[in-house]
Amino acid sequence: MRVGMEFFIGLSAILFCLGLYGALSKRSAVMILMSLELMANAVNINLVAFSRFVTPKVMTGQFFAVFMMVVAAAEIGLGLALVLALYRQTQTIEVQFLNELKG
Amino acid sequence: MNYIIAIPLLPAAVFGLFFVLPRRIRNRMLYLPLAAMAGSFVLSIPAFLSAWPGGEDAVRTGTWHVAYRLGTIGTGPLDVILRLDPYAAMMLLVVTIVGLGVQIYSLSYMRGEERIGWYYAVLSLFTSAMLLLVLAGDYLLFYMAWEVMGLCSYLLIGFWFTDNAARNASIKAFLVTRVGDVGFAVGLAIIWVTVGSFDFHAVLPAATTWGPGVATAVALLLLFGAMGKSAQFPLHVWLPDAMAGPTPASALIHAATMVAAGVFLVARSLPIFEVSGVAMHAVLLIGGTTALLGATMGAVQYDIKKVLAYSTISQLGYMFLGLGTGNVAAGLFLLLTHAFFKSLLFLGAGSIIHSLHTQDMREMGGVASKMKVTTVTFTIGALALAGIPPLSGFFSKDLILDSLWAGHHYVAFAVALSTAMLTAFYMTRLWLRVFPGEPRDTKHAGGHESDWKILSPMVVLSVITLGIGFSAIVFAKFIAGEAAWPQLVMGSTSTLVALVGIVIAWVLFGGGRDTEERTARSSFVYLLVSNKYFLDYPYEHIALGYTRFSEGVNWFDRVVINGVVNGVGVACRQGGGLLKRMQTGRVQTYQRLVLAGVIAFIVIAVYLRGV
Amino acid sequence: MLSTVSGVAALGMSAIVVGAAVMMLTSRNVVHAAFWMLGSMLGTAGVYLLLSATFVALVQVMVYAGAVAVLLLFVIMLTLRRREDAVRSRDFSAVALALAVLFGGVMLYVLWGLHVPAAPMPAIVPGIEEFGLLLFSTWMLPFEIASLVLTVALVGAVWWSGGRRGR
Repeated sequence: MRVGMEFFIGLSAILFCLGLYGALSKRSAVMILMSLELMANAVNINLVAFSRFVTPKVMTGQFFAVFMMVVAAAEIGLGLALVLALYRQTQTIEVQFLNELKG
Repeated sequence: MNYIIAIPLLPAAVFGLFFVLPRRIRNRMLYLPLAAMAGSFVLSIPAFLSAWPGGEDAVRTGTWHVAYRLGTIGTGPLDVILRLDPYAAMMLLVVTIVGLGVQIYSLSYMRGEERIGWYYAVLSLFTSAMLLLVLAGDYLLFYMAWEVMGLCSYLLIGFWFTDNAARNASIKAFLVTRVGDVGFAVGLAIIWVTVGSFDFHAVLPAATTWGPGVATAVALLLLFGAMGKSAQFPLHVWLPDAMAGPTPASALIHAATMVAAGVFLVARSLPIFEVSGVAMHAVLLIGGTTALLGATMGAVQYDIKKVLAYSTISQLGYMFLGLGTGNVAAGLFLLLTHAFFKSLLFLGAGSIIHSLHTQDMREMGGVASKMKVTTVTFTIGALALAGIPPLSGFFSKDLILDSLWAGHHYVAFAVALSTAMLTAFYMTRLWLRVFPGEPRDTKHAGGHESDWKILSPMVVLSVITLGIGFSAIVFAKFIAGEAAWPQLVMGSTSTLVALVGIVIAWVLFGGGRDTEERTARSSFVYLLVSNKYFLDYPYEHIALGYTRFSEGVNWFDRVVINGVVNGVGVACRQGGGLLKRMQTGRVQTYQRLVLAGVIAFIVIAVYLRGV
Repeated sequence: MLSTVSGVAALGMSAIVVGAAVMMLTSRNVVHAAFWMLGSMLGTAGVYLLLSATFVALVQVMVYAGAVAVLLLFVIMLTLRRREDAVRSRDFSAVALALAVLFGGVMLYVLWGLHVPAAPMPAIVPGIEEFGLLLFSTWMLPFEIASLVLTVALVGAVWWSGGRRGR
């Protein structure tokens, strides 16, 4: 059995939705960051799949995936730093207590 | 030749300057509008000479013109044209001479007035607009100047706006003339649709090719506009009230120049009127009615300025009578002479009012012994108005009577003759009440002669009034009209009629008699006439109905519109209170909302594109 | 010539990725969740290998499985006062689930009508060597910018997490 590009895009979509669910529902800031990483991964799978099936020779999608990882790494680094700063200030990382934007 | 542009531009520049200057400064710079006015006058002389000797060709082509392209409407180019032709040249001199005289006069008359700088500014703007109007080579510019004059008239009538009467009069004048202006504007629209141009020299020759329907419509609409501006029946009601303004302004605007603009418009557009016979008859009808009505109403007024105002209405009607015969020269020559002798009369009246501090003739009397110069000049003006030879009024009146007779307009001729008699009558009545004898009211007895600033313009104007009548033939040639020296029969008839009027007035009012008080009060005719034929009443009822309507609208506005607006406000506040709950401040709530929005967008996009 | 991907291997890897993700989301213990995420990342690396993206798979293992996972564990450690705090109450949200499912449904619906013609793989599958050559020629500038971004992120992270402590 062989599978085509649709399979990987579907995998990516499912993974993205799982990450989305996590980002929407989790109360721990760390869990939200982890869910964001899942979403970034889903996007990367997408990129690499397109690279494999559409431009196998020049590998554009792969380069994008690598840069994506760079950005994701920066994001997770900064995000975790934020979580630490937050924790130091409020002694909690539960986002339901972070409602200073309340109107 | 382009210096002609500067003629209207100089006073306009003064207005612009005075408009921005603070009151304190402009009140001290009154020499500036005077200088501008004098400059316009000086420039008008070579302009006039360049149009000399006038004649058919000069009227048809103009001796100078300049055009600026504003843009295009549809396919037709929209030009603004200044053109000098004999009509314009003649009016330039009239306007600048009277304007200069009035400005010198106002120096004394309006001295100490807190807002004198503004007065001069508006006077300058008015003069500028009038000069622009006479120089206008197309209907559009004409209309613009026309409206600016309406504005100035409003501002000057309401100059003493703390006075209720003045304020109401200014509003009345503005609204009534506006009624006429609507007709004018519609007429312009028809002209544009029909000809595709506003240029006089394109419209007027084209008028001969129009059907009688279009020509009649345009002519009547233009006439309607002219009726508003020139205070013709039934739109004359604003002019007597306009006397609430400063007297020199009345002299300039409501006697000599602006009210003549309507006559000037009809004179300019006369080819259109001639294509439509109906319109010519309408001009005659309106002119005759107004002349007679104005004269009768003038005969029963006690306010010296009101007498002159009704006299102005009557004389403007006379001009229309002249134009209605198709004789441009007759109408315009009366316009010319009237501008001088009526402004002279107004300035004289102003001099008397200034000295006696009253406008009521019943409180006057004995002015002749104290104010010699005023008396002489005023008498010259009054005789001219009455049509006594050899003063200017006689010649101009004779031209009109002549052309009425020659045109077989016998009814109009009779009306004109009666008006002439009435004119002589009311002017004599006025003269007898004001000048001879002793002061009737000791309160206003302390009369003294005015200073030279007031007297010099009057002297100049009376000299012009004395002499200008003899220019009738030259004038007619200049503007390519027809005129002849008065025939013996016609001349003596009109003189005789005028003398009859004078004699009747002398019998009634001579030697300090005042029959009016005793007998005429019970007369039905007197009641009718002294109440201005109750012509103000329909207007008042219209105004009252309008007030009711306005109150209704006000109620609607207050209750319904305001209710809706406030309701919207309340609804917004309540809705905001509810929506506030959505602002939990929690990031994930926002995330969810954003996501829901994104999904909605995707669904819509998919649905629309049908992927 | 390998024109498509082996279905069995792909299914297996997908199962690992999705399963680990689901476990991560359902696990009540944060530390466990972090490890499940690590599993999902490694599975993703396997998917990359299936797609013959060797270098990306390598970076995936190093960055995500290595650096990010360790970082996460450190933060969890730093923000937990007691050991018991690692176990969290169940935080299930029907709204979030519905939204996510809806979103996924829409995406899959759009995918349904999608037909991308798959190009045949070249005879010699490009490897790390070609990747490196391209990275330092065509992608030179983005690469440098990426390093700049990382540096800035590093400085920012240091600043936020502890830079102000001394004041």
